[in-house]
Amino acid sequence: MNTRTFGILFVCAALAGLPSGCAKKETAPAATLAKILRFGNGAEPQDIDPHAVTGVSEGKIINALFEGLVAEDPSGIGIAPGVAERWTISDDGLVYTFHLRADAQWSNGLPLTASDFVHSYQRMLTPSLASEYAYKLYPLTGAEAYNKGASTDFSQVGVKALGDHTLKLTLKNRTPYLLQDLKHYAWFPVPVDVIGKFGGLARKGSAWTRPGNFVGNGPFILKEWLPNQRLVVTRSPTYWDHATVKLDEIDFMPVEDGDTEERMFRSGQLDKTESLPLEKIAVYKRNYPMMYREDPFYGVYFYRINVTKPPFNDVRVRRALAMCIDREAIVSDILHGGQKPAWNFTPPTPEFESSARIPYDVAEAQHLLAEAGYPEGKNFPHVELLYNTSASHRIIAEAIQQMWKTSLGIDITLLNQEWKVYLDSQNTGNYQLARAGWIGDYPDPNTFLDLWTTGGGNNQTGWSNATYDDLLRSAASATNDTERATDYQQMEQIVADELPVIPIYFYTHVYALNPKVKGWVPQLIDNRAWKWIDLAE
Amino acid sequence: MLSLSPKKLPSADLAPAQLEQGVSPWRDAWHRLKRNKLAVFGGVTLIVLVLACGVGPFFSPYGYEQTNLDNTFAKPNLSHWMGTDQLGRDLFTRLLYGGRISITVGLVATFVALTIGVSYGAVAGFFGGKLDAFMMRVVDILYALPFTIFVIMLMVFFGRNIYLLFVAIGAVEWLTMARIVRGQIMSLKKMEYVEAARSLGFGTQRIIFRHMIPNILGPVIVYTTLTIPGVMMLEAFLSFLGLGVQAPMSSWGVLIKDGAEKMEEYPWLLIFPGTVFSLTLFSLNFLGDGLRDALDVRSAKD
Repeated sequence: MNTRTFGILFVCAALAGLPSGCAKKETAPAATLAKILRFGNGAEPQDIDPHAVTGVSEGKIINALFEGLVAEDPSGIGIAPGVAERWTISDDGLVYTFHLRADAQWSNGLPLTASDFVHSYQRMLTPSLASEYAYKLYPLTGAEAYNKGASTDFSQVGVKALGDHTLKLTLKNRTPYLLQDLKHYAWFPVPVDVIGKFGGLARKGSAWTRPGNFVGNGPFILKEWLPNQRLVVTRSPTYWDHATVKLDEIDFMPVEDGDTEERMFRSGQLDKTESLPLEKIAVYKRNYPMMYREDPFYGVYFYRINVTKPPFNDVRVRRALAMCIDREAIVSDILHGGQKPAWNFTPPTPEFESSARIPYDVAEAQHLLAEAGYPEGKNFPHVELLYNTSASHRIIAEAIQQMWKTSLGIDITLLNQEWKVYLDSQNTGNYQLARAGWIGDYPDPNTFLDLWTTGGGNNQTGWSNATYDDLLRSAASATNDTERATDYQQMEQIVADELPVIPIYFYTHVYALNPKVKGWVPQLIDNRAWKWIDLAE
Repeated sequence: MLSLSPKKLPSADLAPAQLEQGVSPWRDAWHRLKRNKLAVFGGVTLIVLVLACGVGPFFSPYGYEQTNLDNTFAKPNLSHWMGTDQLGRDLFTRLLYGGRISITVGLVATFVALTIGVSYGAVAGFFGGKLDAFMMRVVDILYALPFTIFVIMLMVFFGRNIYLLFVAIGAVEWLTMARIVRGQIMSLKKMEYVEAARSLGFGTQRIIFRHMIPNILGPVIVYTTLTIPGVMMLEAFLSFLGLGVQAPMSSWGVLIKDGAEKMEEYPWLLIFPGTVFSLTLFSLNFLGDGLRDALDVRSAKD
């Protein structure tokens, strides 16, 4: 399925998964039973409005409830038709024309037309909505100006409905990864009329996402949402490709605690966990190799730094902290799941490997800290490291806390917060150091490097660098891949020098999966079209 | 609680040559306590534990936060008597440091609960009437307040601080104590010795604290020994929420909780903290039982 997709995440640990399981198979002949997949989904979703969320767990649900212009194919690499049955791309790569299928409709029975996309993108870019992901639409001409309030004329933005079933996207620059990116929920249509009825378009968190009010266009429809218990979606009869959909129901279970989740999996209450507790990895490898999955994953685990406040407004302090983390030890002695140490920010792929490298040099780190005015950590202010509640984040934080203490002589304290509070603390800049993770939305370094543009919705560090912003623009307008790669290398180097974030390791996706779940292929970017997933003995 | 049997008379005939020596009730109690083997065992164990936690860490070559990523999940061996945890930290050392926190929280919070609860309950029970009704409604209201929210409110106002934790737990735990004491005092206040004290002109304060409270020590002590382990577990729960002790510092409750998660693979992480905690709990109960018997002025004197 999919290949790309979503992104964002600050997420927690984890990884994702899905499950399946047929809850009732034991008691009745399999053929007549409903196929219900019980999916450990990590954190309770903030919302299921594609314009109001950034997390991976939200993305999993949104992928079941909505569908974009294009969708994931079963292999997880290619691009399958979604709402658009075919499309053409102009020779210069700047104009995309999508032909929408005539039978596409909303779950309330109304037809889904090209103007729905136009209105959705207008809502996404409305400055007062303040969608964190609005910048994903910036490849469209005029989108950035509209989103930043520099222009109020939406007709200048490069999205046009040419009739009910033809949509034209006009791009500012050739954006080679655009089709991949269209699989991300930021580009999904939303039921603008319905949203308008429940408190207006420019409002997040209104009642339109409640069961009963909710309208989507995906393979599943929202049946039930009990916060912190489960969110249930069932097969949608109005989905254009409903014949392909194999599962009858998906129960998204928000289980933040890894131990609880693992116990639920073992007792058959979950078909897939989001992650595995660190100490259980060896057990699964040995005892349940059929259920243990360790997939490559396009993501990085890092510490975000609020560079607006002392002591972290001094780059020497940031460098000192980054230079004395023994990443090899964290990966090999604590994580055990095949992760790679992150000496730079963007995870390596066959297409792009960063040449930037943060050195591991304790002596130099001590020297830098002394230069910054804190020799041997003397007078270093009180610093708190924020993480979302989870045993594995705590254990990594404790290890790093100790590394900083022994090599730099600084004492930091650890602070844990529940997911929504934790997201909010970062959004509002109310933190000093915060654990974070980022999973790529599409297989291109841009999905990582565009995080740190000045004022970007997911930047949240207060860091700003004009050269960096220029390089990102230059990469976007580059006419060939070599030129883009050169720009990305330079940006990587700037991040490694300036360190608005401290990369720690590159993710792998470690989870437990019920062998009955079919069609769950390893994916570098864990974005899935649920219609390909099946349950079978 | 009526004591119907008359006190034995001092038997002058057993020591004809001497004047009967007055024996204070405390001394008397101490003698009785010493003869109770289980209570002595409990007391000695507690003293050993307190000493070990107090001075033991000074002799340990490891720190409670000192990680060793080359030696994670080591089984108990000669250099790490209780093995090491996920980050290669010495469990024995962490257990000793954790004991400091747990024992201190247990004692301090219980002391706070005891002081407030006994005074409050005694006053309410002794005066009765409207004052009693009012005071007990206050207790009811505080009972109804969800504990976690109460602690979170305190943390918001006063910041995260381990001392505040003692106070917060103590401030909640006194409620049950106040109810127990009030009931006891109500049944005692019509006793003859209270009337006798009153007719001698003693003040209310003296009657409550000198005459009545010593007579209700039995239930108070029993309840206190149950409160201490309860408080220790409460501390673990709060620490998990991020409101109690902060990593990397540990407490017994935190060690037990972590150990329970890993018990299938690394049982020593649960066995050692669990054993020490249980031992403390048994010792407290034995000692409490012994104290109750020893301090009961109505029990047979010999």
